[in-house]
Amino acid sequence: MTAALACSHLTVSYDGNVALNGVSLSVGSGQMIGLVGANGAGKSTLVNAVAGWSRGRPAVSGSVTLDGADISALAAHARAQHGLLLVPEGKNIFAELTVDENLGLVRAPRDVAGRHVFSIADVFNLFPRLTERRTYKGGSLSGGERQMLAVGRALLAAPRVLILDEPSAGLAPRLILDLLERIRSLVDRGLPVLLVEQNVKAALKVVDHLYLLERGRIIAGGPTTVMKSDARIVEAYLGTLAVDRA
Amino acid sequence: MNLSQQIVNGLVLGSGYACIALGWTILLGVARLVNFAHGQLYMLSAFVTWYAMTRAGAPYWAAIVIAIVVLSLLGALMQLAMTRLVIEQNLTSLMIVTLGLGYVIQGGGALIFGGNPQTLSSVLARTKVDAGALWFTWQDVLVLAMTFVLYAAVWLFVNRTRFGSVIRAVAEDPRLAQLFGINAKLVYLGVFVFECAAVALAAALVAPRAPILTSMGFNEVIMTFVVVVLGGIGSIGGALLAGLGLGMFIAFFGAFVAPAYTTAAAFGMLLLLLVVRPVGLATK
Repeated sequence: MTAALACSHLTVSYDGNVALNGVSLSVGSGQMIGLVGANGAGKSTLVNAVAGWSRGRPAVSGSVTLDGADISALAAHARAQHGLLLVPEGKNIFAELTVDENLGLVRAPRDVAGRHVFSIADVFNLFPRLTERRTYKGGSLSGGERQMLAVGRALLAAPRVLILDEPSAGLAPRLILDLLERIRSLVDRGLPVLLVEQNVKAALKVVDHLYLLERGRIIAGGPTTVMKSDARIVEAYLGTLAVDRA
Repeated sequence: MNLSQQIVNGLVLGSGYACIALGWTILLGVARLVNFAHGQLYMLSAFVTWYAMTRAGAPYWAAIVIAIVVLSLLGALMQLAMTRLVIEQNLTSLMIVTLGLGYVIQGGGALIFGGNPQTLSSVLARTKVDAGALWFTWQDVLVLAMTFVLYAAVWLFVNRTRFGSVIRAVAEDPRLAQLFGINAKLVYLGVFVFECAAVALAAALVAPRAPILTSMGFNEVIMTFVVVVLGGIGSIGGALLAGLGLGMFIAFFGAFVAPAYTTAAAFGMLLLLLVVRPVGLATK
């Protein structure tokens, strides 16, 4: 079976400095893949390169396929139109537009074959909080509400694959797992998700498969059950959790 | 000296300023781009309209359409040439490039249309309205009405339609817009073409009031700049208010103080207002 999303030998450099070095990974249908690593390991660089997007000027080589079709040559907006939806880290909604206007920017594709279609009602069911905020400007939303809006608009675009870059950044700890579990519920309905996450503990609770990225390379990867006890993960990211379990 | 005549003069002048500024207001306010060739584009539009009427024998309304089409094409070419600067939001370079393009247009205009003043004659500009002691033409009425209609239409388009949201989204963050599946380059192209089409329409409406010269562009860009900044960069309602206010100010200053110093006085007013109220007239 072809992977929903696959990248191979992806290399990214900024002004000659290599930030990502020959990374290959794939996301299967109905799978939630976690990508963890220290700050500066290249996590955002990787997912941005997959989406063909950047706020800087990276030089990218390697290939990306979406449901088997090579999309490496497509611009960021075209990749989004083809169903590769990235919710970037940091600013990911329009502050000067209302919640309804932000959601209204998205146009669902005419041909929904192979797409995971979500209606506006689905989005409000998933994030009831947004219903109360429909006429508020993006800039007045809380961190959690912004993430909900950012994910919501991506869902409206009928994704083939959803990529979330640190959706938990800036969220209160109790909100992090709540958000991730809501996203997991979408995966259980078939939507493939690639999740970049700082909070490894929370990520381990929802993902099927985990990759560990260090200095621009994937240094470990495997099913969550295996990775939970991987020495590098335990030492660097879990510490107390491993002690608790022991 | 007739007070009500000065108010009429103010409205006539002011609606002209506002009408000419509409394109730049959208460009600067909505898409956060600058175009210092705006005045020269105004000049070119007036001459294209004049040429279509006097040399090609087109009726006034057809000449307006021709000017809009020609300027839209020119706008598209300019925007394509500046795409990279626009996406990078390199406003300093855009300012200099458009300023340079303005001089190229002015020089080209002088080569093609010559250095003599010409009259862009519209039937309406020759018909005086008889309202007792007041003096104005049907062209003035047309400009005033069209200005209000255009501003209302543009406000509704920008604030009440999906395309309006798309334009505001690209203005706020063109990179992020790409992740929403929006082709930011295409949106910028559309906004710039609108700016040029709007200035073409404004020129065809306003220019019949006075003789046209290929060197008149710079004065127009200056006055438009005052209107846009006074209005509070990007505010549609603010620009309309600023245009009318500036017209009123110039009418009264010209009548009661000295017509020779109106431009300087307009800038004096701009400085004063920016000191007192740096955000402009708009209450945002």
